[in-house]
Amino acid sequence: MKVLLLGLLGLAAVPAAAQAIRAELDCKFSGTDFVYDCVVRLARGGVPLAGVELSIGADMPSMPMAHNIKPVKAKPGKKPGDYEARLDLEMAGEWAVKLRLSGPVRDQLVLHYEFDDKGVRPAVRRSGTSPRK
Amino acid sequence: MDEYSVGVLTNIGLFSFLALSAYLLLIAGEMSFGQQAFFGVGAYTGGVLTAIYGVPLPLAALAAMASGALVAVLVGLPTLRLRGLYFAMATLAAAEMARILFEVLHFQHEIGGELVGPDGTQGFRGIRWVFERGVEPLEYLAIIYGLLFTVLLAFLLVERSHLGATLRSVGADPELAASLGVDVNRLKLGVAAAAGALAALGGVLYAHHNTYIEPRNFDIMLGVHSLAYALIGGLGTAFGPLLGVLVDLGLLEGTRVFQGYRMILFGGLVAVLLVFRPRGLLDERVVHWIRDRAFKRA
Repeated sequence: MKVLLLGLLGLAAVPAAAQAIRAELDCKFSGTDFVYDCVVRLARGGVPLAGVELSIGADMPSMPMAHNIKPVKAKPGKKPGDYEARLDLEMAGEWAVKLRLSGPVRDQLVLHYEFDDKGVRPAVRRSGTSPRK
Repeated sequence: MDEYSVGVLTNIGLFSFLALSAYLLLIAGEMSFGQQAFFGVGAYTGGVLTAIYGVPLPLAALAAMASGALVAVLVGLPTLRLRGLYFAMATLAAAEMARILFEVLHFQHEIGGELVGPDGTQGFRGIRWVFERGVEPLEYLAIIYGLLFTVLLAFLLVERSHLGATLRSVGADPELAASLGVDVNRLKLGVAAAAGALAALGGVLYAHHNTYIEPRNFDIMLGVHSLAYALIGGLGTAFGPLLGVLVDLGLLEGTRVFQGYRMILFGGLVAVLLVFRPRGLLDERVVHWIRDRAFKRA
């Protein structure tokens, strides 16, 4: 409520712009329907971002609050900035993958990927370009 | 509370605004398949104001509600002349037009080296007012439920007032209400505006919870669900739509073992309820029965 009141009075400070965190997702079909073993690569300014607590959720864009998966905690991967998690998506198609970073770095990123039995690729929209990450 | 529970409760809260918006029109006798459009209008308006112009969220939420009400009036002026199925189809068409407008809406500004703002089908990233001010998910949940409680209180007060009785009389028989001197068209337009503002409030809260929105978030599925929540929960009281959201999201979360098939459960539930309880679980009869029992005991 304090935040709201400050905001209402226009006193809320505008945070300084920090260099944006970039994320990439690479998943392999596990062999079980709609289950994928995924690696998330986090970087800031081209430098791998290690030591972050990462939780991964996903929503279907056409039914964002109802058709989703339970968020899973990612484990640090083999390389710095890599995080591994298994996603059970319930069905193939496009998913908005939500990355919530906590710990030393706090952020929230949303990535759009197409999942099928071959694996995963960035979702392509009608305008013909891949979404920015 | 863990992240998952906070997430589920947040979704229940956000859906409740939309469900109450559909409910408001239903008790006035109109079935709208288009409330998701006003949810989207609120999300985009609020997002643009906070992310591009740095407007504080409370002011952006008020502006979003005003824009939701305005668009609802613009949609309502031609469509509220229609009745029943024709009105439902017209609202669906209007909502699809709004979604397509979101798909061609490009309004980006460079902020901190990043392009921020609606980018058509690519969506609208960087709605981070809440996130950047360090509001924790649990705090945001409290804000959502605080607003929902206020809205619910307003509903309960209206339902006990002369306006509430007039509204239900219009819903039950508009011709009879008109013969008693009620300006039915004006009342319905007011209801449409209030329902639009309410959906827009849900939208602006959703956009700031998610930090990202896109046109597909506001498609027909969302409209069907909002209507279904009101119909499942019941039209006897404003608690009905909230019960509908709880039942549906509770079922969806409780049946994850069935994976994607659980959506069939939702469809089946709506169908069965519409057959056996056309005015929902908490319909007028049940509400009267509960009130009678409560007063007799008192």
